[in-house]
Amino acid sequence: MSDADTLSKLSRINDKYQMFNDFCRDGELGDAKFLFSVKDNLTSAEYETCAGSRILEGYRPVFDATCIAKLKAEGGKLIGKANMDEFGFGTFSTNSGFGIPRNPFDLSRSCGGSSGGSACAAAVIDDHISLGVSTGGSICCPASFCGTYGIVPSYGRVSRYGLIDYGNSLDKIGILAMDPKQMTKYLPVIAGKDKEDPTSCVQPELKITHKKMKSVAVPREAVEGIAKDVLDAFNKALEDLRSMGIDVEYVDMPELKYAMPAYYILATSEASTNLARYVGMRYGQQEGDLTLGFDDYFTSFRTQYFGDEAKRRILLGTYTRMEGFRDRYYAKALQVRMVVIDAYKKVFADHDAVLTPTMPFVSPKFDDISRMTPVESYKADFLTVPPNLAGTPHLNCPCGYNADGMPIGMQFVTDHWNEDQLLTMAEEWDKQFEIRKAEVSL
Amino acid sequence: MDKEIVARVAKASHIRLTEEELDRYCKDLGDILDYFAILDEAPNHDGNGINPVEIADVLRDDVPEEKFDSEELLRDMKTYENYIRGPKLV
Repeated sequence: MSDADTLSKLSRINDKYQMFNDFCRDGELGDAKFLFSVKDNLTSAEYETCAGSRILEGYRPVFDATCIAKLKAEGGKLIGKANMDEFGFGTFSTNSGFGIPRNPFDLSRSCGGSSGGSACAAAVIDDHISLGVSTGGSICCPASFCGTYGIVPSYGRVSRYGLIDYGNSLDKIGILAMDPKQMTKYLPVIAGKDKEDPTSCVQPELKITHKKMKSVAVPREAVEGIAKDVLDAFNKALEDLRSMGIDVEYVDMPELKYAMPAYYILATSEASTNLARYVGMRYGQQEGDLTLGFDDYFTSFRTQYFGDEAKRRILLGTYTRMEGFRDRYYAKALQVRMVVIDAYKKVFADHDAVLTPTMPFVSPKFDDISRMTPVESYKADFLTVPPNLAGTPHLNCPCGYNADGMPIGMQFVTDHWNEDQLLTMAEEWDKQFEIRKAEVSL
Repeated sequence: MDKEIVARVAKASHIRLTEEELDRYCKDLGDILDYFAILDEAPNHDGNGINPVEIADVLRDDVPEEKFDSEELLRDMKTYENYIRGPKLV
């Protein structure tokens, strides 16, 4: 296929699924060894970077994020900036200022969020990898809803230089792909120490030894309140794992129920300070009434261009850091993070991984999403939040399809820095699981 | 959730709310904080949970370097005589 044909096809795919904010419309792909896309909160010199927010519309960074530069150095060509919930604030990619990506298996359903565009791109473009960013589940959720693999490495494994932060102590850059071998190939490329991100400088080397898992633990708390179609597929997957020679044992992890509120407190606290920089100066939208005092000027931009969920999270995060409330919320949430990490470490003493369904239901229809309250929407993340709060690596593996053909995923969590067993698990699982690729009819 | 507190938080956050938005966010934040109340029964911990993994001391000497061309950095910013343009302070 010629470059023009490839790009024409890409344009038609994007018209249908709306997975990119900005993408390669013309020009040459040259001698690129592979094509990749990235979530639109990763800065790139050749495309606009808006992080799903109108307040950043028109922002053209002058540099590539470290992970993008590394993939380019490996011979990759960046072809698109993937749509996402504004600054990562969402579970369904419906909170973007630039349209909503559509699920490849059913256009009336969500791709998941917040890396929804990335999951969609990985699902519908042949031999594609897409970088996502996970703060509370933003890789595994969309991977589950779109039927792709998705790996979130340990916190600090991949440099965050060039990432527009949501929550600095939570954000992790990872990979979504239909072929798990692509993740094994490219995670070591984007991983590694980077002096531009001090949190990346403590990591041990990522060694791929193809160490297989021997035992997994399923927390009883994680299979309560799960939709029947998801639970059926999950239970079938447990049988398949047993037939692969992996021990499956149920355990109690009562601490997991505290992860969700702790996560939302830390995430919104950090987000509310990170977003203080967006005031109509330097980046994106800058056309305002300069006769206003600075308070009114800043307020006018933030009021006009931040979306509903961004405002809600800024208010929540500002509140939980306020004097008088800080100890009850923020300080307690920091302690709970350690409680959850300890709970995982205890299980990892006897098991290679903790295994749960990834999401409690298959991708919902947009009509159903529009009726959800904020709390209902937050609760949908209850399985993906714990490893994100703990900074432990985790993986979505497609594990089944319901009667409507919608994908279902399961989530493996391993100890800090143990991405090796996750990548190996994905490859081993892929040998016996018949993954379905969405039919892309243009 | 007290409306006055939400209004104060919004002002500190540089976000203007209409009456309808104030009512809506009051309810939303009230519901969310009710849900967060489960934290009160969570065990305490002595550790420092600022980061999920231990972060080593990576302090370094301050060495000036010019990483980006200043003209390039100012390319898309609204400027006045090469200064970033902003609202009046007084």
